Amino acid sequence: MTFSEILADLLTGAMVTVQIAVGAWAVSALLGMLFAVARDRGMRAAVIPISVLVTVLRSIPQLVVLYLLYFGIGALGVDVPPLIAAILALGVTDAAFSAEYYRAGFMTVPATQREAGLSLGLSPLKVMRLVIIPQTIPFVVPPLLNSFVGLLKTATLAAAVGAPEILYRGQTVMQTTGRLVAVAAIVIGLYIVVTLPLTRLVARLERRVRAYA
Amino acid sequence: MTDLPGWLAILAGGLVVTIGLTAATGVLAVIWSGLLATASISPWRWLRGTARLYADIFRSIPLLALLIFVYFGLGPYASKLGVSSFWLAVLALTLSESSYMAEVYRGALQSIPGSQWEAALSLGLSWPATVRLVVLPQALLPAIPSTVNALIATLKDSSLASLIAVNEVTQTATILVSDTFLPLQVYTVLGALYFVLIAPLSYVSKRLEAMLGSQFGVRARTGAVALQPVADARV
Repeated sequence: MTFSEILADLLTGAMVTVQIAVGAWAVSALLGMLFAVARDRGMRAAVIPISVLVTVLRSIPQLVVLYLLYFGIGALGVDVPPLIAAILALGVTDAAFSAEYYRAGFMTVPATQREAGLSLGLSPLKVMRLVIIPQTIPFVVPPLLNSFVGLLKTATLAAAVGAPEILYRGQTVMQTTGRLVAVAAIVIGLYIVVTLPLTRLVARLERRVRAYA
Repeated sequence: MTDLPGWLAILAGGLVVTIGLTAATGVLAVIWSGLLATASISPWRWLRGTARLYADIFRSIPLLALLIFVYFGLGPYASKLGVSSFWLAVLALTLSESSYMAEVYRGALQSIPGSQWEAALSLGLSWPATVRLVVLPQALLPAIPSTVNALIATLKDSSLASLIAVNEVTQTATILVSDTFLPLQVYTVLGALYFVLIAPLSYVSKRLEAMLGSQFGVRARTGAVALQPVADARV
């Protein structure tokens, strides 16, 4: 296998890695928002179970959650494709962290905003959607982008259940051709080229938000 | 749950390895990231540049990729020297975790007011002496909660070592699964074990943060802020 063949093979894998990261990010952003809203407002019955769930998800390695979803659910007779298992496992564990970003965002909005919204006759959910959430966006975007960068990296865990992402393909190439240096150079190079500028961008955004706050 | 006590007895063996892995990595990573953080605020540009380049590069590499490359690359030599994959995992974990921790420690060092530096330097202390005698002692206490958090992350990340043939608890569980064909039950027990280890640590870290926050005011809090991207942009 020539270097360019290896590169082409790993780039195909990188596409799968990006799919996993984007999917998990969407799951995390939505579920995290759901956790935070339910915890923040009204839904008393939801507060304790969600707190417990968030604490548990934060305390268990993603790999174990992935195994539970892939092998565990698989043993119940439901066939979960590796890609879906990876997206769900990474998304659900990450949601426990996203929920905190949203919560921190909510805390930046003064209580008077909620009171004003309610006194204008908006329902609590409408206050959330129209008044609170729009004001939290600048605070929530940088950490959510950060978690996307993190997910691009954790997406490699999908290799453990055989999803053909970049590291899985890299391992296959190494085992069949023994070309460790080429594979490592490509994988590490790609990750640096993609994540370093993103991390820098997020740091800049964060500084801006902090200056504006 | 056919034989929970039997399973726990088997998993306990792996748990000891997991704790060993975390402890060894923890000690080495604290030392290494302390050195890196000090280097990254040193007056010598080449040293600062090197320390920051290290953090940038190793934070970009997924931990699993690093583990696998270290295993494939150094494994053959290591086994000749009688070094087990346990120590290869410690190496990869240390390299990766310290790239995150160094940033947190740098934040802790930079939170010491500039007047402290000026006072020490004007007393004739050299730069290394200023760091050692003035800055470091003040930065240590506020850095403790972040260190506990890093330890929690390491404990969770150590599960990846199961993929390079380290017989820690996740691998022990996987072997148990291949014996029992009960993945849902075995991995649930495994998750519970991690939870039992990590939940008290998280509690301690939260309490410490609150305690130090009231004592050190802004300093401990900036430490906590600096930690946030670390806790999530992980692996």
